[in-house]
Amino acid sequence: MTATLSATPMRAPRQPFLSSDGRWISLGLGLAFVVVLGLPLVVAVLWSLVDPRVGWFAPDVVPTSLALDHWHTALRNPTILSALGLSVGIGIAVTILTSVLALPTAYALAKLPFKMKRAVELFVLAPLIVPGIIVAVGVGAIFFRLDLVYTIPGVILVQTVGTLPFMIRILAATIEAIPGDLIAAARTLGAGPWSIARHIVIPLAWPGFIAGGLLTFVSSFEEFEKTFIIGSPFVQTLPVILWTYLGGRGIIFPNAAVVTFILLVPMLIVFFLAGRVLRDDVLASGMGKL
Amino acid sequence: MSTLHIDGVAKSFGGTTALHEVSLHVGDGEFVTLLGPSGCGKTTLMRIIAGITQPDRGSIRIDDRAIHALPPERRNIGLVFQSYALFPHMTVAANVGFGLKMRGIPRAQVAARVAAALDLVDLGALADRHPRALSGGQQQRVALARAVVIEPDVLLFDEPLSNLDAKLRDQLRDDLKILQRRLGITAIYVTHDQAEAMALADRILVMKDGRIVEEGAPVALYRQPRTRFAAEFLGQTNVIPVHLEAGQPLMPWDMVGFARTGIADRHVSLRPEDIAMTPDAEGPGEVRGVIFLGASVECRVAIGGVELRVRQSGSGVAIPEIGAPVRLAARIEPHPLAEGVHSALSVGDA
Amino acid sequence: MIGGFAYRAAAAILILPAGGYLALFFGLPLLLAFLGGFGLFTRGAETGFTLEHYRVLFGTQAYRDGLWFSTYLAIVPTLVSLSLSLPLAVALARTHPGQKLFNMLYKVPLVVPGIVAAFIVMTMFDRGGLAARALAPIGIDLPKLVRDQWAVGVIIATAWKAVPFMTLIIGGSLGAINRDILAAARTLGAGPWATFVRIQVPLALPGITAAFLLTFIGGMGAYAVPNLLGPVYPLPLSVHMYVNAFERNNWGLVSAMGTVLSLISIMVLLAYYRATRSMRTAYGGEAR
Repeated sequence: MTATLSATPMRAPRQPFLSSDGRWISLGLGLAFVVVLGLPLVVAVLWSLVDPRVGWFAPDVVPTSLALDHWHTALRNPTILSALGLSVGIGIAVTILTSVLALPTAYALAKLPFKMKRAVELFVLAPLIVPGIIVAVGVGAIFFRLDLVYTIPGVILVQTVGTLPFMIRILAATIEAIPGDLIAAARTLGAGPWSIARHIVIPLAWPGFIAGGLLTFVSSFEEFEKTFIIGSPFVQTLPVILWTYLGGRGIIFPNAAVVTFILLVPMLIVFFLAGRVLRDDVLASGMGKL
Repeated sequence: MSTLHIDGVAKSFGGTTALHEVSLHVGDGEFVTLLGPSGCGKTTLMRIIAGITQPDRGSIRIDDRAIHALPPERRNIGLVFQSYALFPHMTVAANVGFGLKMRGIPRAQVAARVAAALDLVDLGALADRHPRALSGGQQQRVALARAVVIEPDVLLFDEPLSNLDAKLRDQLRDDLKILQRRLGITAIYVTHDQAEAMALADRILVMKDGRIVEEGAPVALYRQPRTRFAAEFLGQTNVIPVHLEAGQPLMPWDMVGFARTGIADRHVSLRPEDIAMTPDAEGPGEVRGVIFLGASVECRVAIGGVELRVRQSGSGVAIPEIGAPVRLAARIEPHPLAEGVHSALSVGDA
Repeated sequence: MIGGFAYRAAAAILILPAGGYLALFFGLPLLLAFLGGFGLFTRGAETGFTLEHYRVLFGTQAYRDGLWFSTYLAIVPTLVSLSLSLPLAVALARTHPGQKLFNMLYKVPLVVPGIVAAFIVMTMFDRGGLAARALAPIGIDLPKLVRDQWAVGVIIATAWKAVPFMTLIIGGSLGAINRDILAAARTLGAGPWATFVRIQVPLALPGITAAFLLTFIGGMGAYAVPNLLGPVYPLPLSVHMYVNAFERNNWGLVSAMGTVLSLISIMVLLAYYRATRSMRTAYGGEAR
């Protein structure tokens, strides 16, 4: 029997595979998030609660007087409320339109061998390569002739141009992960294209739909440049309203703060719900290769 | 000149214990195999030796150097992975030279040693290719070259041949053994394939449920297993209950079991190739199943209340009918097995 | 086994919806914009091939400075964001308490509009903003960060949005690397830093490239944030585009500007592809 006791102590070595202590990382990240996320949030809340009769001026670090006046006005303001509804409605419309257009193309890119694939991939990517404002202005010129400017359908159409590339790429990445054998098996069992789409592709591509759909909705909800150029001043989504409070006639922080929250709250709700369903790797895989 | 000592290494993941205080020692230049089914802890133990996983308790020494507190990059251990783990963005030569580069060895020397290592595995011509252009067998050779070129104290193999097809596996297995012998590096080889273990090892350590249940040289372990688990895991065997009658241990067909007497009911291990089967109209046994395996014929025979497997090799072997009456005889003395399913022997016993 | 033709036909049908859509609402406008830069098919002004618009574009000081400023706004925030995202992605991947929470939190700015980011910077960093007020009692006087020459405010707001985006993509690329490869590097003697630089970064390069490019292009075309936070002069080209389009009706000039911005984006794309290819051979080691 061997077992000579070694000279070194037998307690567990403390150096994990990937070096330093996790606790420091948590500390650093926590601090960073407090400064980068928490602080602005608090400041925005304070701005929204500023008493209109007193205001909030230097050198006060905290407003001297708080009131709910701005919230009351905002929540009764028909412009703001209609902007909220418009943002949501346009978001849903864009998501549906994008999904319907994207799925067949994503399938073709993922599963079908054909010669022009790389060219199509690049073409699908192109709206991302060209700066958004150029797309917006270019589309604006055409929409002028088609009488689509200042209309809601016009905004929906132009936003879709920006959301299609991501949706196609995310769906293509997801569909590519579906083993070709499954589709072949379905074929041998008698399924035609519609059936395969309905029973195999769509159910198995569901994570891609969720990731892409959420990304699309969020993109649409917070989109500014294209909406502004095509829609303003008749189509006003929440970001456009926010713009008028920040860049328009004058800077009105309290109003901006309130609209910010009206913008943010649905987004954060969607975000937290999505967090449970969304898979980062799906999202990243769609956007990770150019 | 490197011996490896592992003392009391234990590891749990959450609520499951992967390793229960394992200790083992490997002599200089020895080729040792960790053999066991999936989940027995062999891969965990290997990763702990390499430093990729941290044990909860225990120590690891190479010669007199305690290495369990060192990060993997300072342990001077070579590791060959099942997935090859070649760096896809580097050429074969760059892959093999990587470890030398990390040690700060000058370029000219690196080039020379890389060339030598690639010659050792017969891949000199492919030095400038990228891994994706190589076959599985070639990739594994590159991984091997990469691990040995740094002249490690210990070489670890994590089921390196599992991803290869059978013919290639045999070929590479033999090359591996030759290489290890030639270089004289202490090696630990993890596998679930008992044939591979027996072909390669100087000593086999059989693992189950996070413990080493038995160890020994391949011949001794195969022919005289002490535990039932080892007997059944290595090759095939019949585990036969033996009853005492008038002080004599008897086999199911009323044959005297074995020489050692005075022990209560036991199990013995008798391998299918060690049973002779002859047709006998009054024979106590009856053939229940026949499988032709090419080189051998395997029969299931019901006898004395148990069912045994019998194997006979050679082209001249008769292939019996099902239901044929036969007589069985043990060619060698059956081997008694220790009671209990585990016998957690501490290793080091000769 | 269906022949190649059937595949092509099927592919064509499947691509038609999105492809046709993009061709109509993206390709066509882009084409018209390109032609418009040369004076063809434009509204307003006269039509007919001309280089006048480009002459105006490159001839006017304000526009030249605007072009340079747009490029500045594309490069600097992207570099700043990249230098923050890489360590963030690595940190988020290591096990640490609260990992799940942090992995959710860092994505919050993704759902926040750029204008809100601008708003935040305004309230915090402008003259009389919160940072200034908080530091005044200690006697620290902050330099001008909003509407300043270096567009620091723009950089902060852009980075605030870009860092989570880049981190997401880069994190995905890093996570896709087979763990065995990292273990192999470690056992061969590479410490954590060497493993990161020689193995993880090269293998994650596709994701890093993609993140860089998307952020760069976004910066090139940014309108709202520079408008709100940037200096009065120079204005980025995107703002000039807007003014010339909707206030002066000079679509030809607008097209010329758009074309130049697009060309720069494409050139950066190509340059980056070339650069990363050589980076890959550099990390390969021996043979150069």
